[in-house]
Amino acid sequence: MQVGLSTKNAPSVWVVVPHFLIGAVSFLIASVFLLFNYEDLLGYHINASVLAVLHLMVLGWVSMIIFGALYQLIPVVMQVKLYSEKLAMTTLACMVAGLFFLIAAFLGYKFQLTNNFIIGGSLVITAIVLFAFNTLKSALESKEKSISKYYIMASVGYLALTVLLGLFTVINLSYNILPVAHTELMKTHLVLGLVGWFLMLVIAVAAKLMPMFLIVHKTKENLLRWAFYLINAGILIIFVSVFVKQTPGYVDLFSFVLIFAGLIMFLLFNYDVFSHRMRRKLDIGMKLSAVGLIILVAAILSFAAAYFGSAALGLPAGRIEIISGLLLVYGFFTGLILGQTYKTLPFIIWLYYYQKLVGKQKVPLVADLYSDKLAAIHLFSFVLSLLLFLTGLLFSVKEVLFLAAAAMLFTSLVYGFNVYKMIFHKKIII
Amino acid sequence: MLQENINAEEAKVYELLKQVPDPEVGVNIVDLGLIYKVSINTVGKTLDVDVTLSTPGCPVGDTIIQHIQTVLENNYIGYAVLVDLVWEPQWNPDMISEDGRAELNA
Repeated sequence: MQVGLSTKNAPSVWVVVPHFLIGAVSFLIASVFLLFNYEDLLGYHINASVLAVLHLMVLGWVSMIIFGALYQLIPVVMQVKLYSEKLAMTTLACMVAGLFFLIAAFLGYKFQLTNNFIIGGSLVITAIVLFAFNTLKSALESKEKSISKYYIMASVGYLALTVLLGLFTVINLSYNILPVAHTELMKTHLVLGLVGWFLMLVIAVAAKLMPMFLIVHKTKENLLRWAFYLINAGILIIFVSVFVKQTPGYVDLFSFVLIFAGLIMFLLFNYDVFSHRMRRKLDIGMKLSAVGLIILVAAILSFAAAYFGSAALGLPAGRIEIISGLLLVYGFFTGLILGQTYKTLPFIIWLYYYQKLVGKQKVPLVADLYSDKLAAIHLFSFVLSLLLFLTGLLFSVKEVLFLAAAAMLFTSLVYGFNVYKMIFHKKIII
Repeated sequence: MLQENINAEEAKVYELLKQVPDPEVGVNIVDLGLIYKVSINTVGKTLDVDVTLSTPGCPVGDTIIQHIQTVLENNYIGYAVLVDLVWEPQWNPDMISEDGRAELNA
């Protein structure tokens, strides 16, 4: 084998592809739920249906696709084979079963330690521990010293902490093991999950893929190093402070400033890559990713505004938190995943069908495996949906929220059709 | 830049290799500057090609190498074709030809 090639380390198509399929289905189901429960977004508290949609989005959609994409990217970023494909499939089975019970638990509308919570939570934790083991074991076998590798290792560690703290929060609600306010535990659970797991992983992937796809050679890696230190410091302070009694208010503020500073470094890194790109024309995958990054700026501003509270902004209680979460999960993460799907999934399928035929027969291009037009349509409906959500939430207009949820459902349907088209591709010989 | 001091037969090989695209970028590997050396020995019937990739771990590396091998074997029957993946000098975007740049943004 020639040194530096990742193809021979690439995982089987059967390991990666089901994650994309289940991810697309989860996005669709979450969008249907949202369409039937959109009025809950205007509620005073974050209620059970919002939590069901949120967990379906973060576990079934965002995490599922990240799992699949990471199995494919480990050989690219770390130049090693995934430690175990069997473990990856077991992880998937546990995750799907766990998610099923967890959503049923949330939809039971009881914030108690029900059996569904215990079964669902335990299965999700098992899935995540297996995933963390598989990923970290692969990382430890890699001799690569890229910044992406360290981001991946940190993010996987945070993922394990997120689910453990999530389960602990539910147990503590019933048994009061530690005298910590459950809102504080929830906040830390959220920060660990959204910033520690998702954002750190997104940075890891972006650090490798953005310059690769846009053809940029010299990147400002120092910005990513600073971002790594700042974000980690911020998360760790938040995590430790939740267990310290009566932490002064400025500790929270300080840790959020550190995280924001890190995110700004990450955005500056991307800005530099985009402005020095050799490939000026953006394909649909990169357009969607760019939209995701722009929404990250809006999400940062929104989270900063959340510090002052909804009342100070003239909004009903809890509203700015909903807007911030929506911008991050439905905006940034979803935008990036929609885009990166077109940069990863068609490749796996193309390599599966055509790798051995190149040069012998005329084969289609990677981009021929999906409809560019459909992708452009869901780019439009996705942006429209977010704008409608913002308008509906800022001005408390139910009808606008309904339209926003409908536009998101439309986005998930069109995206789902394109994913279907890629996964069930029929071999073309030109 | 790497096609200096080549003979007519080697120039023919470069032209042939323009049939091989980078499947992600859609531009051929010669204009992308990925071919570092072509050396043909018509007496000993050997054909050596040094190729690089834009980044280590490039997911389509194998596909590109296999494509080069097939194209050359089909056109140089009886020749021993050896495709070597090299990493020195490190590839950079300045190695893309004018045609390649135009094609990238077409």
